[in-house]
Amino acid sequence: MRPALHAEWTKIRTVAGPLWLLLGTVAATVALGAGATSVAGCTPTGCGGDTTRLSLMGVYLGQAPVVILAVLVISGEYASGMIRTSLTAVPQRVTVLAAKAVTLTGVVAVAGTVAVLGSLLAGWLILPGPGRQALSSAEGPTLRAAAGTVLYLMLIALLSLGVATAVRDSATGIGVVLGLLYVVPIVSQIVGDPYWQRLLQKIAPMSAGLAVQATTNLRSLPVSPWAGLGVTAGWAVVALSAGALLLRTRDA
Amino acid sequence: MTGLRKRYGATLALDGMSFSVRPGLVTGFVGPNGAGKSTTMRVILGLDAVEEGTALIGGRPYLGLRRPLNHVGSLLDAAALHPGRSGRNHLLWLAHAQGLAARRVDEVIELVGLTSAARRRAGGYSLGMRQRLGIAAALLGDPPNIMLDEPFNGMDPDGIIWMRGFLRSLAAAGRAVLVSSHLMSEVQDTADHLVVVGRGKVIADAGVAELIAAVSAGRVTLRTTAVTHAMSVLAQAGATVAAIGRDTVAVSGLPADRIVTLLNASAVPFSEVSAHRATLEDVYLELTREAVEFRAATPSEVSR
Amino acid sequence: MTPAVTTRQPSQRAGHDGFLQSLHAEWTKFRTVAGWVTGMVVAALMVVLFAVLAGVSSDQKGAPPVPIGPGGEPVTDSFYFVHRPMAGNGSVTVSVSALTSSIPERPGDLRAGLVPWAKAGLIVKESTRQGSPYAAIMVTGGHGVRMQDNYVDDTAGLPGPVSAAAVRRLRLDRSGDAITGYASADGTHWIKVGAAHVSGLGATVQVGLFVASPPVVDGMGTRGSVSTATFGDLRVQESAAGGDWTGDQVGARSPSFAGYPANTSGSFSESGGRFTVTGAGDIAPAVRETLPTGGTLGEILTGTFAALVAVIVVGALFITTEYRENLIHVTLAAGPRRSRVLAAKAIVLGAVTFVAGLAGALVAGPLGERLARANGVYVFPVTPATQLRVALGTAALLAIASILALCVGVIVRHGAGAVTAVIVAVVLPYILTAVPFMPASVANWLARVTPAAAFAVQQTLVRYDQVASIYTPYNGYYPLAPWAGFAVLAGYAGVSLIVAAVLLRRRDA
Repeated sequence: MRPALHAEWTKIRTVAGPLWLLLGTVAATVALGAGATSVAGCTPTGCGGDTTRLSLMGVYLGQAPVVILAVLVISGEYASGMIRTSLTAVPQRVTVLAAKAVTLTGVVAVAGTVAVLGSLLAGWLILPGPGRQALSSAEGPTLRAAAGTVLYLMLIALLSLGVATAVRDSATGIGVVLGLLYVVPIVSQIVGDPYWQRLLQKIAPMSAGLAVQATTNLRSLPVSPWAGLGVTAGWAVVALSAGALLLRTRDA
Repeated sequence: MTGLRKRYGATLALDGMSFSVRPGLVTGFVGPNGAGKSTTMRVILGLDAVEEGTALIGGRPYLGLRRPLNHVGSLLDAAALHPGRSGRNHLLWLAHAQGLAARRVDEVIELVGLTSAARRRAGGYSLGMRQRLGIAAALLGDPPNIMLDEPFNGMDPDGIIWMRGFLRSLAAAGRAVLVSSHLMSEVQDTADHLVVVGRGKVIADAGVAELIAAVSAGRVTLRTTAVTHAMSVLAQAGATVAAIGRDTVAVSGLPADRIVTLLNASAVPFSEVSAHRATLEDVYLELTREAVEFRAATPSEVSR
Repeated sequence: MTPAVTTRQPSQRAGHDGFLQSLHAEWTKFRTVAGWVTGMVVAALMVVLFAVLAGVSSDQKGAPPVPIGPGGEPVTDSFYFVHRPMAGNGSVTVSVSALTSSIPERPGDLRAGLVPWAKAGLIVKESTRQGSPYAAIMVTGGHGVRMQDNYVDDTAGLPGPVSAAAVRRLRLDRSGDAITGYASADGTHWIKVGAAHVSGLGATVQVGLFVASPPVVDGMGTRGSVSTATFGDLRVQESAAGGDWTGDQVGARSPSFAGYPANTSGSFSESGGRFTVTGAGDIAPAVRETLPTGGTLGEILTGTFAALVAVIVVGALFITTEYRENLIHVTLAAGPRRSRVLAAKAIVLGAVTFVAGLAGALVAGPLGERLARANGVYVFPVTPATQLRVALGTAALLAIASILALCVGVIVRHGAGAVTAVIVAVVLPYILTAVPFMPASVANWLARVTPAAAFAVQQTLVRYDQVASIYTPYNGYYPLAPWAGFAVLAGYAGVSLIVAAVLLRRRDA
């Protein structure tokens, strides 16, 4: 496993794409979060909402480069045929996938941490007094929201890696993942029955996972913060398992 | 590498393919397109699964090797590179996958003569340079077995000469070298042993010299200005004759000295009598004719 | 071959033929890749599938019917009414000396608060049946004196709030179907506020005082309110005496009525000619927020988003696979006029997507509506013209989005990048507008400047100035008119088409 990890790390650091995508994640997350907080319309008495969540809203956009990176980590090798070289060098296919997953999660964790801290700092600078207080209290909910957002990005990377391993084509993989992330929450709006609507919001990887960002009004959430992140983790596990199974059984 | 035997898929890409590759020799692996050469190599490397049979390297399956590149070096597709990564970095990740040091990377780059281009983006490499990079990757683990799929593809004449010498030197160092190719002249000049395949089966598995001798067996080429006369004389003596040129006749069924005696006795003028030396091209065509015909009849049979 | 013909004979005819050949070639390319054709079929099916899902997933059976106004539109018609019959023509006047409202945050919280559209005044109404024709003149919490009739019409009168120091006198005259409203600040100088033609009133109408108090916008939701008005000098001039005043809550049980805040109720009391009336509700057209259980055609077509992802993937792959497999060299060798190749690709892709999208939308709209109605869901009504606009607009939206993906594919030459860029540009802004904690100003800005503005083509709801509500894209109200929103997307696609054509021409293939 260690040599495989070393190889994947060498692969990811010797091309320019991953670095740019990770920088894109940081930039998109901070920029959208800052944009949202600057128009939030706070009054001196309060910001009438969840300021932590507002500051961290950039992940809605920032996850897109993470998805690209994660999909390309495997589908790029399928496109060039390099996957055969990889599997020749490390014939234990699941080890290759695991090494990719670990490397990917690692770099996304670093970028995600920078993005989240940058977003919170931007929110702290932009928001007036009360909103600032909500953010600067590094205790409980804000800390959970920040750490949870980083974890969320890591899980999205794993989900994308799993899907891409299964479908192999990069454009299709990205379409599937972004469809799963973005379309399911929209669809849940039209489901008239409140039970089913809440259920959809509970099981959709994005709306459930980002529940971890909520710091106020926790009771109105369809799913509790950590449980929501657990749902996203479930998606990642299912996608990775399916990817691993297909990788093992298919001819490379 | 020891015995391989496998059947593969509903399309029967490999129909009981079985052969072995011996150390110290360059083994040519030839056959028409779709005969199963690349599939065989992918099976050896554990990339494709088979319904039956096993491919063993030094008595062990590829998937059981802990540091596979130290056992088998291979080149399947020289174009399989990330275009944005430099050649050196491509080798570097492969080295890291085997726990090898970066020093070994520079050694193999030197070995294949890519030093000047090693730090450039691989996307800008010519096909010949990619082949050299692929050879470097195959040599990375200093393996006793080398397996190359069409290594002459896209190489310029200088490159081909280099490759021939290089492959021979690898074999001379005691390695088992398996080279697939459809450039018969290259294999003729490089290989010591031939495995000819068609329809997913081994058609011939023998030394190059033996094969050529087998195809050439008993054939004599006669050069004469009196073709008709010569043919009738030899035919009367029981030989099979065929005019193969304006002044050339192919004769079989009679040894060369008997032909000379007969012609002299009948006062047929001739300028040359030589034992016919078949080229590997002849061998190849002879052996694979059936396979080619089969393939032409059902073109959809095998795609790779 | 084409290039030879076009270079040797620079006539228009030759060029035209060449373009037709390019179109034919691209069409052949498209239809021979099973994955792309499947993608388009999937896109159409998505639209239908989600319409069916929307239709069958909701169950509003047994819910009280939505009141419908004389114009066929859904209305809110719930208010406290102190009324008596009036036969034939006549006139009614009253003075209003106070209108106070409260917006309770918790039960028993009756602090005064401003409800801009709290209404108190005179009304002439066909009957107490919800949705019946009416005309009314009233004072409001924040919009001065208004004359309103038949739910959608609204005319401004004297400005300023009402108080004991600024008493407003109101008068309504009925003459057949013509109702005229007057207002006066001093009781001597009467100013005509408006005249309404209200048909269907019948010979005998109900006249009297009313108080309504709609929910107020509070942050990203609404909160119920209750209002109380003080009236005096109530006089009815009529041909025959009308009888006693009775107080009734009109439309107490109505899907468009949120009800009274806890511990409050409608009532009236009279002492010495002073009427004190308390009421909640509204007499106004229903909006999305007042009819949360209703559905819109746009919601039935939510499958558009899933279809979008499919057509974006196909659009991007239509060009990026050529780059990946170096087929582009073959393509450009067969048709060296590169921008023409691009145009041919765009036309083929756009046409196929349009047809698939139109088929999906034409089936999905009526089917989803029928299923929803069968489940008792009230679907906001649309005219056939609007229905057609929504179907055509949805198809065009999908077609332009796929062309945008094609052009971005040419620009970035990478399938993954193109798919992400276009999905993020078109779908993400819409999601952000739907984020519950997103301020309406941001949501409207996003729906104005991003390609997601194009979802306005699915808008079927009408925004009313006289109803305070949350008019956001999430609720089905777009800041741009349908085709204006579409034009924003078309603009992005047009710019990217030009950039793609220039890059295709300049770059080595």
